[in-house]
Amino acid sequence: MLIKLSGGTVYDPANGIDGRVMDLFIRDQHLVEPPADNEPIDQHYPLEGKVVMAGAIDLHTHIGGGKVNIARTLLPEQQPAYSRPRAGRMRSGSGGIAPSTHATGYRYAEMGYTTCFEPALLPVNARQAHMEMADTPLLDTGGYALLGNDEFLLQLIAEGAEQQTINDYVAWTLRASQCIGVKVVNPGGISAFKFNQRALDVDDVHPHYPISPRDILRTLSRALHQLGVPHPLHVHASNLGVPGNYLSTLATMDAAEGLPIHLTHIQFHSYGTEGDRKFSSCAAQIAEAVNRQANISIDVGQIMFGQTVTVSGDTMRQYANHGHAHPRKWLCMDIECEAGCGVVPFRYRDRNFVNALQWAIGLELFLLVDDPWRVFLTTDHPNGAPFTSYPHLIRLLMDRSFRNDMLARIHPDAGASSHLASLDREYSLNEIAIMTRAAPARLLGMTDYGHLAPGAVADLVVYHREGNPEQMFERPMLVFKRGEVVAREGAICASVNGSTHVVRPEYDQGIETRLAEWFARYHSMSLRNFGISDDEMADGIGSPVVIHPCASTSHP
Amino acid sequence: MWTTEPSLNQKHLTCPFCGLACDDLSITPGDRGIESLDPKCDKAKQGFRLALQAVSRGPRSNGAPVSMEVALQQSVQLLKSARAPLFAGLATDVNGMRATLELADRCGGVLDHLNGDAMFRNIRVVQDNGWVACTLSEARNRADLILIIGTQCFDRFPRFVDRVLLPRESLFSPKAGRHLVMLGPWQNNRLPATLKDYAPITLHAHPSQWADVAGMLRARLGNRPVDSGRLGGQLAEGVEELARLLREAKYSVITWSAAELTFPHAELVIERWAALARDLNQTTRSSVLPLAGNQGDITSNQVCTWQTGYPLRTSLQYGYPVHDSRLFRYQDLIENNTADLLIWISSLDPEAKPPACDLPTIVFGHPGMELGQEVEVFLPVGVPGVDHTGHGYRSDTVCTLPLGQLIERGLPSAATLLRTLLDRLGD
Repeated sequence: MLIKLSGGTVYDPANGIDGRVMDLFIRDQHLVEPPADNEPIDQHYPLEGKVVMAGAIDLHTHIGGGKVNIARTLLPEQQPAYSRPRAGRMRSGSGGIAPSTHATGYRYAEMGYTTCFEPALLPVNARQAHMEMADTPLLDTGGYALLGNDEFLLQLIAEGAEQQTINDYVAWTLRASQCIGVKVVNPGGISAFKFNQRALDVDDVHPHYPISPRDILRTLSRALHQLGVPHPLHVHASNLGVPGNYLSTLATMDAAEGLPIHLTHIQFHSYGTEGDRKFSSCAAQIAEAVNRQANISIDVGQIMFGQTVTVSGDTMRQYANHGHAHPRKWLCMDIECEAGCGVVPFRYRDRNFVNALQWAIGLELFLLVDDPWRVFLTTDHPNGAPFTSYPHLIRLLMDRSFRNDMLARIHPDAGASSHLASLDREYSLNEIAIMTRAAPARLLGMTDYGHLAPGAVADLVVYHREGNPEQMFERPMLVFKRGEVVAREGAICASVNGSTHVVRPEYDQGIETRLAEWFARYHSMSLRNFGISDDEMADGIGSPVVIHPCASTSHP
Repeated sequence: MWTTEPSLNQKHLTCPFCGLACDDLSITPGDRGIESLDPKCDKAKQGFRLALQAVSRGPRSNGAPVSMEVALQQSVQLLKSARAPLFAGLATDVNGMRATLELADRCGGVLDHLNGDAMFRNIRVVQDNGWVACTLSEARNRADLILIIGTQCFDRFPRFVDRVLLPRESLFSPKAGRHLVMLGPWQNNRLPATLKDYAPITLHAHPSQWADVAGMLRARLGNRPVDSGRLGGQLAEGVEELARLLREAKYSVITWSAAELTFPHAELVIERWAALARDLNQTTRSSVLPLAGNQGDITSNQVCTWQTGYPLRTSLQYGYPVHDSRLFRYQDLIENNTADLLIWISSLDPEAKPPACDLPTIVFGHPGMELGQEVEVFLPVGVPGVDHTGHGYRSDTVCTLPLGQLIERGLPSAATLLRTLLDRLGD
């Protein structure tokens, strides 16, 4: 099957193409060089006046695993308004803030997203997370394994284990849980909460192990670097949501000691204590630090006003915030000496000073960080807002007058204490293509994704060029998944299943001897049943793996 | 574990027959299928023995043997003519439940598990309030006080004692410093042998007193003026002592099996215990650990939740999911004649049979299942973890264990047959 897309205006920043009119060719599942003149074209799409980009990639969205199912269980009353009827072979579903798996896949694809990553995959819960993502059609998926609150690693660091041993454990975890990266959530804090400690700043000492979050951050970022894992350590920093936490965030950046580090939903970590309400924006300080240090990337975790649910591994902070639950019910769980999860429903209000300022802080961060290759468009779905608000968020970034209209509606004191009105920047289509396609693919080491050069996987989106970017990004004209049209004019027309993206750094299997002993003594599952094989992924879980290369290992 | 070569001689077998999902078993095969099982567990041994000994009589139609082809054709006709099919039982593995949901979506079915009553005693508490919970390894390694409500946990979950309550080793809570408190009608029941030497604190309390005990503990811990004396004598004293222990514990765990709470509105009792754990977290740490997962109930509920957005007791009759834990109880739907076809899926226990009823019925059943009342179609299916690989959830809802294949005797999985029906129904 040879498909020609002619005359579209292409935005392909990975290949330096910024709005060039050109023809693209798809053969089977990949983009290819123009064919010989005499080769017949099977399908031809004339796209004059249309905008063409690679399929969008969301590098941080909670779409699979135990905490999402808990959110669904906790909030049955939130689902009916978003019921999605069965249509032909498309499955029924429900849910706006914690949608069912099929509804999640369909809605993402309708918006031109073709790949999504679950950022908080507990290795012990990996099967469930991968099964949920396997049941999320039309998307390629992947996960970041949660480490840094597991008692095994904390004990290793505390006893001064060699970095090589840590590296082996990290690589083993990636293999066992079939993940593409590693995330740490409130380093050491989830574990500390199990010992009844209620706060843990970057240089505080854990109540049981003589180590600090800084030690954990340094050790893990070094491990990933030395293993050659493309995605840097993905960090949910200490003190989420606490006024004054920007200092913890700066200390977290510092803890990486110049190695690559990704700070996620940084909006929640950019707060000061100025003003009458002792709550202020430190977006400028954070953005300045990001601009200054090329080893740092961030995603924003923008909030939007309305009902949502916060799902997080950070039980320490979720417990602390349970008084804000709306509706008034919440759940926390301590999990397998490995991590935890907290689910707290939340309603952000534009007339609430704190919520309004959170909204402004997120936008300030987007606009103050200079390099679109290092700032990613997320709402930390569903924590800041459901992913369905992305088109609205893109309009806020691309349209200054619209942004200022919205700013005028929020709590006036919040508007007054934000620099947002003075920020003139408007994102270009090329910059949107960078932050939602080219940059996430590069940061994840997915060389065949996020761009449109010959050889790339034909995940591709065609948009109508609209004056209103929200309309443009809400309803693409065409969405191709691996060369097949799966959505037209914002409606799903075919369903295909995706794959699971992983990395496989090498490691010394000697680590398994120590792990086997640990599992036998303390765990309620045996080591041999912990890891997921490729056969199990493909045949049992239902999502075959795609392995991305790691850089050649650089030993210390 | 996930195996591709069927064999009985495997280490680290996963047991699908209770919610503890022990995965350290090995079988010694014998003439009658199974000579012995290590470590010992009566429930696992019974489950594996019944599965391995079962001699399937093949597909049947109204009691008479028929070919698989005829059985499938009849099933398709029944599904085509049904306007309100009820998918119940649902004792299967993850892929069995995935296929069930796809078929139910196609046919507009209602879904409920045979353990639905017990399961929703817990789920309603989560839906109304949420809770603070933990998992098996967390309790095993951290709990210094475990309050066990009821007397049946040990029969339903035989290895609960050595795997969680009194493990040989524990990271942060050695056996010697652990308090076990048993609350229930222990006057008429015997403590499990494994616990006797340990001499746990026993509080004799009839189930009708359990809510009161929880309320009294919350009041004592909240320093509210209450008279524990009204609980009477020894129980009152025991509650005072328990309040002290809970306050002093670093990490307490409250556990129960909802299947034991068979009285009306038992969810309100569970709600109080969950509230006690929640209160304790203001100053110390405490969690609930509800025991469940038998007959694959957690498994089918988890898959239903991610695919429909709701727990079980969800209807797909309207073309989209509608959930109502009171309206979609399978026993009531049968009783009230609001279903016109019963699809009973039960692959783990030959005794988990469909309820006697007048509804036309298709059974996807354990190969050893003998029905008292013949049904329109009976399709024997493999036992997950014996006849085919699969996945089953543990009680704590977090761990999904891989189930291996032990033997090959040509029995299809429920998932395979359900998908065949789906294909034949077409769009």
